[in-house]
Amino acid sequence: MIDSESTKNLSGQAFDRRDFLKVLGFGGTAVALSGCGNTSIEDGKETVVSYVEAKDYVIPGVAVYFNSTCAQCDAGCSITGKIREGRVLKLEGNPESSINRGKLCGLGQASVQHHYNPDRVREPLLRNGDKGQAISWEKAYELINEKLQGAKGEEVAFITGDVSGHQKVLLTNYIDSLGSKNHFVYEAVAPAVVRAGNLKSYGVEMPRYRIDKAKVVLSFGADFLGTWISPVHFAQQYAAFRKGVDGQRGVLIQAESKMTLTGANADRWLAVRPGTEGILALGIINALGIATGDVAELVKDYDRARVSRDTGVEPSNIDKIAAILRLRSPSLILAGSAAEGYVHGMQNADAINLLNHVLGNVGKTIEAPVSVPFPQLTQTKGNTASLKKLNDDLAAGKYKVLFNIATNPVYTAPASYKYGDSMAKAGFKVAFAHYLDETALQADLVLPLDSEMEDWGTHVPEYLADTAQINIQQPLMERLHANTRGMGDILLTLVKQRKPEEYKAFDDYYGYLRYAMLQNKAALGGSGDDDVFWNDTLSKGIVKLSGASGALSAKAAVEGLKLPQPEEADKQYPLRLIPSVTSNLRDGRHTNQPWIQESPDPLTTIVWDSWVEVHPKKALELGIVEGDIVKVTSKTGSVNVQVYVFPGIHPEAVSIPMGRGHEAMGRYAKGYGVNPFGIMDAVFEGSTGELAMHETRVNIAKTGQRVIVVKDEGPAGGKQMGRRVALSRSTDQVDLSKEV
Amino acid sequence: MHRYLRFPFMLASFLVAVACHAATEQTLTTEDDLGPQVQQPIEFPHYRHAGNRNPVDPTNSDPTKGGMEINCQYCHTYARRSLTAGIPPLQKCVGCHQNIPTVRDKPRIVELFKYWDAKKAIPWKKVHDLPDFVRFNHERHIKRFIEQQGRPVQEVCGYCHGQVKEMVTARRQKPITMGWCVSCHMKEHVVVAKGAIPEGGTPIGKQDYWYTFQKPAETRNAEGELTAKGPNDCWLCHK
Repeated sequence: MIDSESTKNLSGQAFDRRDFLKVLGFGGTAVALSGCGNTSIEDGKETVVSYVEAKDYVIPGVAVYFNSTCAQCDAGCSITGKIREGRVLKLEGNPESSINRGKLCGLGQASVQHHYNPDRVREPLLRNGDKGQAISWEKAYELINEKLQGAKGEEVAFITGDVSGHQKVLLTNYIDSLGSKNHFVYEAVAPAVVRAGNLKSYGVEMPRYRIDKAKVVLSFGADFLGTWISPVHFAQQYAAFRKGVDGQRGVLIQAESKMTLTGANADRWLAVRPGTEGILALGIINALGIATGDVAELVKDYDRARVSRDTGVEPSNIDKIAAILRLRSPSLILAGSAAEGYVHGMQNADAINLLNHVLGNVGKTIEAPVSVPFPQLTQTKGNTASLKKLNDDLAAGKYKVLFNIATNPVYTAPASYKYGDSMAKAGFKVAFAHYLDETALQADLVLPLDSEMEDWGTHVPEYLADTAQINIQQPLMERLHANTRGMGDILLTLVKQRKPEEYKAFDDYYGYLRYAMLQNKAALGGSGDDDVFWNDTLSKGIVKLSGASGALSAKAAVEGLKLPQPEEADKQYPLRLIPSVTSNLRDGRHTNQPWIQESPDPLTTIVWDSWVEVHPKKALELGIVEGDIVKVTSKTGSVNVQVYVFPGIHPEAVSIPMGRGHEAMGRYAKGYGVNPFGIMDAVFEGSTGELAMHETRVNIAKTGQRVIVVKDEGPAGGKQMGRRVALSRSTDQVDLSKEV
Repeated sequence: MHRYLRFPFMLASFLVAVACHAATEQTLTTEDDLGPQVQQPIEFPHYRHAGNRNPVDPTNSDPTKGGMEINCQYCHTYARRSLTAGIPPLQKCVGCHQNIPTVRDKPRIVELFKYWDAKKAIPWKKVHDLPDFVRFNHERHIKRFIEQQGRPVQEVCGYCHGQVKEMVTARRQKPITMGWCVSCHMKEHVVVAKGAIPEGGTPIGKQDYWYTFQKPAETRNAEGELTAKGPNDCWLCHK
């Protein structure tokens, strides 16, 4: 509208009165035109789609709530999903569950991002060279059947994560029907050594810990507030513990080599030389001076001078711990996964558990577990020894057909396993997957799974709080993608191929589940009408069972307890690598949920990237500062990663968090950070055969590059703001390493 | 532009600007401000359903002679239960129309049953749209005016939606802008305390709670009646 002369005038030539009016006139018109009569936003443009048929309880704009179970980790927290207009929006904890009592952790909150994830597999994919070709489910089932015809029972193997409930029953039946005995239950960060240690010390694998009843908690690397067993439950016990029994605030002491979230909350945090947790425990028993008999015999050499020398804990601290443990009873001593990631991990656990026996805590703050009346539904517990066995078998070419059900061993196996190569030796590999992760990419057939918000199921968590309970998982909304299927439905179809007669009555997994639950109505505490019982069960989301709890063994297991002397530092690889489990990333199965990536690590506040924690003393010695890219090298391999100088780590150790460094899986996971599994040595715990995660030794060397560590806290964050980082480029084009 | 055209053009622009300014200025009345006539997938005749009955022929045998005075809330059933009024489910239309054989062959009804047989939702176009940062609550307005004060349904819906009962497909009749909303909320309304008229309580007076954080200030008008303004917290609509 503005002609060339006006432009000329505007660009700096003298204004006369006429020009001024002219500009005013045009400008006013432009403003008025844009406002005139255009008061509404999009009248007649947007579509409002109404329901065809609506349920009575469905009111647009008003949310409805369904109870289900969180599947982000194995703690089995019950959730309540908020659903509006048929879409799940938000999850909260279900107050009825004695496990999480209405609370939910950040990991659980992020599971909506798993459900709505843009990178989910949507079609069954058959390998065609390097590409996946979409096929129909009928063809996929046919193909599985055909491949199984050519394989004997012992040539078929299954690898799954923890599995419980009716899905486990179906899976077991299917594996049996194939005549296979090869079910490998694999969890990369399972507390398997803890279980074995508990079994030896208390007679049960998983007792109930009562942090809330204890007056002192001494935890050897058990990150019960962040990642250990059932963190939401323990966090609530911890709150009660801090309020105190009889008004006496509980005291938390954490002894570990790398500070965890729990360690950061402790009243006293002790940096223990990696692997010497057991020695410290025996030293405390010695300092307590209340042990008798063979226990006293065992600990007599562990005087404070020696223990202090071995563990790096000052003698005064050992005395203080002994004093407070003597003063306040009951106490609770926890042997966490961090104490057990060594060749002598079991010995460490035994020594720590012995402390509970000496202090008389067994039966007081360590209670017998509740037993579940349906043993066929209890959780099959995963470990890492199973993966070693599977890998050996695969490498030997023992299996023709491999079913990989929602696990990702290509990513989580130590690089020295060469799991990818082993897996390639199986003739036909089927991956049941949510994402095209590292393992699914190597499969011949990828079958897309429903998210836990679209699928039916039952879960019996390993750690049960007050009573035994079966958690119900039910769809919170319709399938987002037409061609994904629930694991239960897939298993039912597969088992029908083998035993058509037995399962012909069930059209789908829902029908099977309903039938199976109603069969046991009386035992599940139901009575009366079937529909009433079933609807009641679904609306509650939990079936509480009365189960008797067993007994714990009162006798301490001293036999065979012999701790090795701490090793002298290796010249070539002087540092221990601690692959840390962080509360949001865990073993990396959720890395493709952006909330997980962007929520700052609780201790370092770093986001979207990996880091290596180095003690300031060590950093000074090596001339490293925060942000230096260092090469961390083990016998197995090396990674380049940014340094975070962190006082919460033993000077002889460095720590890299697990879960990042994916090479596949999705847009939010791929290419962010490094994967410590890739440099982990294959060293195993002596008696359980578990992967000894903390036994890898590394050295670090500067590469000369330096970056700004992207994090929430500290002066670097502030400097970053003032530094005018790459104002000329958009953020996705900024290379921070060049900005410093 | 030719030089001799400049002045007339500028004058015209100025007049348009003034006129538009006058049109956009919100007066404290609810004058009509017609929105665009929106093309709908089915030309739903509101006047036929909600329009006044023909006083001469109350049986309505002839559709051209009057409506059926169906309560707005019979179809727009979500309005009194939710923030959003929603659109009635297809089931609602069919629920009646499968029992009205006389109009079954009319083109609109034929179209309706096509959607129903295919179990497909009708893609209606939105006629009253608010920006996403505005949370207008239908339920509260209905509770206040229809349930508490007992005003006629069509009058109350008409405050914002206009004379829908005379329209074929609905067309926006009021500006539905913030200034327009506030024009009503700023007025001093006569307050009738709860208890004075059993059915006609208001959010102020002896009410147990208010819709806003603060109890509205009460004043007396020339007739000595207690008056107060409607709720006017920003937060009420802009959460």
